[in-house]
Amino acid sequence: MSTAPAPAPERPLPVPTRESQPFWDGMREGRFMLQHCSSCGKVRHYPRPVCPHCFSMDSEFREAPTGGMIHTWTVCHHPFNFFFKQAAPYIVALVDMDAGVRVNAPLRGVAEADLRIGKRVKLAFEPINKEVTLPFFVSE
Amino acid sequence: MAHPLREKAAVSGIGETAYTRGTPKSGLALQLEASLAAIADAGLSPRDIDGVVPYFPGGGIAEDFIANLGLPDLKLSLFVPMGGATCVAAIQSAAMAVATGVCNHVLIAVGRTGYSGARVSTRLQQFPQFALAAEFEAPIGMFAPAQLYAQGARRHMELYGTTARQFAEVAVVTRRHAILNGNVVMNKPLTVEEHHASRMIADPFRLFDCSLESDGGAAIVISRADRARDLRKPLVTIMGVAEGHPESPASIAQRPDLLEFGLVKAAPRAYSMAGVGPTDMDLAEIYDCFTFTVIRQLEILGFCKTGEGGPFVMDGRIALGGDLPINTHGGLLSQGHVVGLNHAIELTRQLRGEAGKAQVKDAELGLVTGYGDMGDGSIAILRRAA
Repeated sequence: MSTAPAPAPERPLPVPTRESQPFWDGMREGRFMLQHCSSCGKVRHYPRPVCPHCFSMDSEFREAPTGGMIHTWTVCHHPFNFFFKQAAPYIVALVDMDAGVRVNAPLRGVAEADLRIGKRVKLAFEPINKEVTLPFFVSE
Repeated sequence: MAHPLREKAAVSGIGETAYTRGTPKSGLALQLEASLAAIADAGLSPRDIDGVVPYFPGGGIAEDFIANLGLPDLKLSLFVPMGGATCVAAIQSAAMAVATGVCNHVLIAVGRTGYSGARVSTRLQQFPQFALAAEFEAPIGMFAPAQLYAQGARRHMELYGTTARQFAEVAVVTRRHAILNGNVVMNKPLTVEEHHASRMIADPFRLFDCSLESDGGAAIVISRADRARDLRKPLVTIMGVAEGHPESPASIAQRPDLLEFGLVKAAPRAYSMAGVGPTDMDLAEIYDCFTFTVIRQLEILGFCKTGEGGPFVMDGRIALGGDLPINTHGGLLSQGHVVGLNHAIELTRQLRGEAGKAQVKDAELGLVTGYGDMGDGSIAILRRAA
């Protein structure tokens, strides 16, 4: 009888890549750093080697504004990873950032009944350990 | 001029294992059991198979098929890693292989221990397509498809007024169809009230909006149409087939329009290749990882306009006897989850007139879709040959 091993109740954490390291370094410093093309200037997220607009491989990370508007959301009730059992139910908002990209992160301090497309929120920073800081949203 | 792929390939054989929750068999054993059934259904010997597209990742690879089936001369081994869009997209790859003469008979096979083996979140960590979700979304508590797709469903509800009642209709009709099929995991009736009372998984998806975690195998054989004509079963030809990839394919969050799946690109290509449109369909087998996914695909497929998918599924329209019967076998929601290869099998069965109590009368033309990863899409249009 094949049975699945029980999922380890560990918090899933980001493993930065060579491309995404500056984003996570920024998070740790409380700065929302986004990748911009050095050639055409367009922003892209998630970080990757080539600009899909002009194909330049030169890019730089710049600090970006943290405000945005809710694009949509979900409320997670079932903890697919045991780690999130305590937190459930929790709201995850997908936000159109003023910086021109989207960010998915937990939204705190807002009641489910008050959720609507276009609601203003801002990104905040939650240190998890010495290396990793994760984003979350609060009302602007 | 007709498209060079049109009617050049056929679904010559179909095979399934029992769909269960719990099995002592491995994914590979299930995959091979279904493969042997499909090959026998076609009236072929395993030795005739000269191309193989195993579902990946999970189950066997070409080497396993050669070793187990004694394939003397495998000419093509492919992976089509598109999650739930894989199986129908693989029909396109297989059709290309037989139409060009590279192969005569290509096997597409899935074996899955989704209940007794690794569950969805663990399974998806093997997928390179989920690397971005693993880095940026799993740490904030979003990783399972139910969570990732829920945001698109919520946006559709907010923009167009789509309701949980309409989601429930898809679940209830699909269950009614499943009960007519002898080989299903869920064989008891489901009511709208039971749907609404089921626990919330990721709002707006309740338990009965979600497809099953089940064990089972499924396989089909794609053959050169001229060879298939001489085989055991009535000829079912591939009129049109296509795959499509959305913008921002590995991150739904960054997609300009969350509701623009790969099917937006694939469906017009398949219709054009087949020379038919949505109003010509006698039935449709729609990939149903979630109830909402069916509603949105019906819009993309042109059965109704964007925003009208919710009302479209009401009033018996998608049930047997309605204008467009869908998922006449019970789908992923009620029959079993073999990544949608069961949808292609059911469409073939319907067009052969082998669908038993769920038979759509005089079914001649139908379509099957796949939907996977973060929104890859695929579609095949099949016809019973005269």
